[in-house]
Amino acid sequence: MMNSEKSEVGLSKWDGTISPDKFQQGALAFAEKWKTVCVAHDHDLPNWSWVSCLNPHFLNLHQVDGYLSLEKMCILRSDKIDGETSDLVMEEELNCLESEDCTDPASLVQQAAQQVHYYDFHIVYSSSYRIPVLYFRGYNSDGQTLKLDQIERDLPPSSVEVLTESKWTFITQQEHPYLNRPWYTLHPCGTNELMKLLMSNTCLSEDEDKVEAECFFIAWLSVVSQVVGLRMPLQMAVLQHN
Amino acid sequence: MASESPSAVRKVVIHLRATGDAPILKQQKFKKIKDGFVLGTFISKKSSVILVSGTDRFASVIDFLRRQLHKETLFVYINSAFSPNPDESVIDLYNNFGIDGKLVVNYACSMAWG
Repeated sequence: MMNSEKSEVGLSKWDGTISPDKFQQGALAFAEKWKTVCVAHDHDLPNWSWVSCLNPHFLNLHQVDGYLSLEKMCILRSDKIDGETSDLVMEEELNCLESEDCTDPASLVQQAAQQVHYYDFHIVYSSSYRIPVLYFRGYNSDGQTLKLDQIERDLPPSSVEVLTESKWTFITQQEHPYLNRPWYTLHPCGTNELMKLLMSNTCLSEDEDKVEAECFFIAWLSVVSQVVGLRMPLQMAVLQHN
Repeated sequence: MASESPSAVRKVVIHLRATGDAPILKQQKFKKIKDGFVLGTFISKKSSVILVSGTDRFASVIDFLRRQLHKETLFVYINSAFSPNPDESVIDLYNNFGIDGKLVVNYACSMAWG
């Protein structure tokens, strides 16, 4: 808290964005830390890895030659079949039945038998917003891609609310910039404002760029991960201020 | 859930700090609070103190703020620059991020999406 005043002054002009180089630097440091934390604290989670996609020189498509990827993450919400969760789902489904644009009542039956859902998450740098953007897709154990209404059932209740309120500015389907296939993505609008808030209390004034980029990454994912129900180990945030 | 554990009695001091355009909590309102939340003390222009049971999830702090401020969309985060999952327990957060016997929780009225 001592240096918060100082850094707030220093950060007041910062627009909450990150440069392509810092993004890559932060991504790599983040992936390293994730691995260390998972080993040290016994978290059984897949690791993040950097996927390199080199552009042909004449096609200057991306500012960053790759993205960060975590694949085959099993989302707990979907395979947790305790009373509380299924009640909640049923309730949501019933509410939905009352409204006009509703799903097939037959899906109620299907839903009772919940399946394990896997998710792939990619963190891609957005050149236009100058921030990381989360792309994701979900699939069944047999590899079948999940549709948005299936994904919706795996999302935390708070996200479902936002999803109904703001359909086009939250989770939308877009072309994955590197894979050129339709993936779901979290709209990057407003992320920089959020980052300004989050970073205003950190010891960013430390001249180590690596720490800064890593802090940015962790802070960013702490927010974004909640939206999609991806659990970030608490210790990820602990280490950064040591 | 873990109501039998010894930490059930443990209370955590939380400093609530308004950031950005967020309104400050009014002290008298705390008196109405039941269960885990105990009377708060007004300590400065921008922050107030509450006492929360360690076994509570962070979600209860968020809910508390929502009720007090009458705002549905709040952005709540910890001093060391991250936003905890609502499922984290208050005691875990305190153990990892507590400074000088308290946990500093910031809140703002902005939203990332929508």
